[in-house]
Amino acid sequence: MTTILVVDDEFLIADILSLALEDAGYMAVQASNGKKALEVLDREQPALVITDFMMPAMNGLELALAMKEREDFKRLPIILTTGAQAHIAQQNNHLFDAIFEKPFDVFEIIDTVTRLVGTP
Amino acid sequence: MGQIELKQLTRLKSGIDGLDVLLQGGFVAGASYVIQGRPGSGKTILANQVAFNYVREGGRALFATLLSESHERMFQFLSTLSFFDHSMVGGDIQYLSAFDTMENEGLDQVVKLLRREITRQKASLLIVDGLLNARTKAETALDTKRFIAELQAHAAFAKCTVLFLTSSQLNDGSPELTMVDGVLDMREETKGVRSVRRISLRKTRGSSALTGLHEYEITDQGFVVYPRIESVYNKPYLQEWLNERRVTSGVKPLDDMLGGGLPHTSISLLMGPSGCGKTTLGLHFMAQCTAEEPGVIFGFYETAEKLKSKAERIGLDFRTPMDAGVIKMVWQPTVELQLDRLGHQIINEVRRHQAKRVLIDSLGAIARLAMDQNRMVEFFTALTNELRSMDVTVYGTWEVRNIFGPDINAPSSELSSITDNLFLMRFAELNAELKRVMSIVKVRDSDFDPTLREIVINNHGLDLTKAFRHAEMVLSGSPTSYDRT
Repeated sequence: MTTILVVDDEFLIADILSLALEDAGYMAVQASNGKKALEVLDREQPALVITDFMMPAMNGLELALAMKEREDFKRLPIILTTGAQAHIAQQNNHLFDAIFEKPFDVFEIIDTVTRLVGTP
Repeated sequence: MGQIELKQLTRLKSGIDGLDVLLQGGFVAGASYVIQGRPGSGKTILANQVAFNYVREGGRALFATLLSESHERMFQFLSTLSFFDHSMVGGDIQYLSAFDTMENEGLDQVVKLLRREITRQKASLLIVDGLLNARTKAETALDTKRFIAELQAHAAFAKCTVLFLTSSQLNDGSPELTMVDGVLDMREETKGVRSVRRISLRKTRGSSALTGLHEYEITDQGFVVYPRIESVYNKPYLQEWLNERRVTSGVKPLDDMLGGGLPHTSISLLMGPSGCGKTTLGLHFMAQCTAEEPGVIFGFYETAEKLKSKAERIGLDFRTPMDAGVIKMVWQPTVELQLDRLGHQIINEVRRHQAKRVLIDSLGAIARLAMDQNRMVEFFTALTNELRSMDVTVYGTWEVRNIFGPDINAPSSELSSITDNLFLMRFAELNAELKRVMSIVKVRDSDFDPTLREIVINNHGLDLTKAFRHAEMVLSGSPTSYDRT
């Protein structure tokens, strides 16, 4: 089963995304910030990461940079969801496979996930 | 001899004028405050506005929520307010949710998370929204107290000011409130069908503040606070305001009765029932405005247009001076008007316009705005003394209910004492004719002609004639003629 990691400090958004992913047949795991996401990456070996930008401890940009440093994660697709500072995301768009501005359409994200990693 | 030096604390300006006045310059930098109010009272708006103002001044702010509501929803409703700028979010102002940490790891971890974030963001303003949730999460009241104490200690060490927002109504004895340096209480009260929002500072450690309840409202500019007029303006009555300078009332016979016109720095109250000529007398007074000595009319009943045509009917041209800005009209219906907002507006407009003549039509309507009639004397004392200090001559009208009858109800003896001059206007029936009657009741420290005059209004204006030489009991409304021999 394809596992997707959802990273957001706002649990409601993480929950909504996870439920939609599970409805589509994926397995979803969650982390509330970038630092925790790195731990979950080691443990769960997901196929794709959906991350928020503005988070405590480690933000979405820092997470993406940390992943590119790691041999085992550098090729993992990353989707960024952002409610702010869209220009920072755009300047670093080489780090991300897709960027969604909040509030986003959940189904567009699911479609993008399917395009990037295939059907579950 | 040692001189005691009062150390001035550094202030973090809220950027909300009225609130900074209440706080005597702003929040004490590095101190912590609880802002409490029921849902809908505007706490979140207030805190965001403070944060955005602070960031615009070059500060850095951290907004942490312990609520489940998403930040996106908050941004959506904030986006209708002028201070909110979405492009600043994520830069010098960061929004974080600590809800998940609180739910899964407890309050200790929330403190750790926020402590690290203050350093990471180099924030000098921390806002924690949802203290009530921390309270529910805490096993005992002591835990919340510890949560606040620890956060406060970390923040103070980083010279970071903290605002805790909560929708619970904590009473003075609750441990949370004993910890913090200041408490802002926001409440909505209803009187009849009107609802008024008021804010009070219940505790301000290390600082003086304007205590008591102050009105506030939420406009598209955000939070606006109107400090109680008498708490801001507290000039005593100065004897020097009484001087020999006189100005014309615009009505020659009235000037004569007053012994040469109105005292320059004075407040005149025109009392009488509807239709007796109060506004007309006021218009004659305002018609004397010039470019050098402009005037302001505050009206609640008649609009500028109506007033212009009313003036025209009595032979006064208001169009030219009003169009030229010599006479400024501030018109507003009394619906949903707030007392202190109006008080500030009157003072500010008079100052801005450098007005020398002011007509308030009517003072009685302002008095009806008060939530608490007990403070009317303080309100009017502060307002009138501030106006006197600006060297203006003021006319204020006051409706009395009875058109006829022997009872003459002054607004209240204290209010009458606030005004310098008191003019009484009545209707009277004499020889099967309805007459308008006027008399001067009081002129502060000056002689005057106390005779009753008939007010005659025609298309040439208003005149005061000696019509009651052969009648008595005129003020009762039912005069009797006595024998002329």
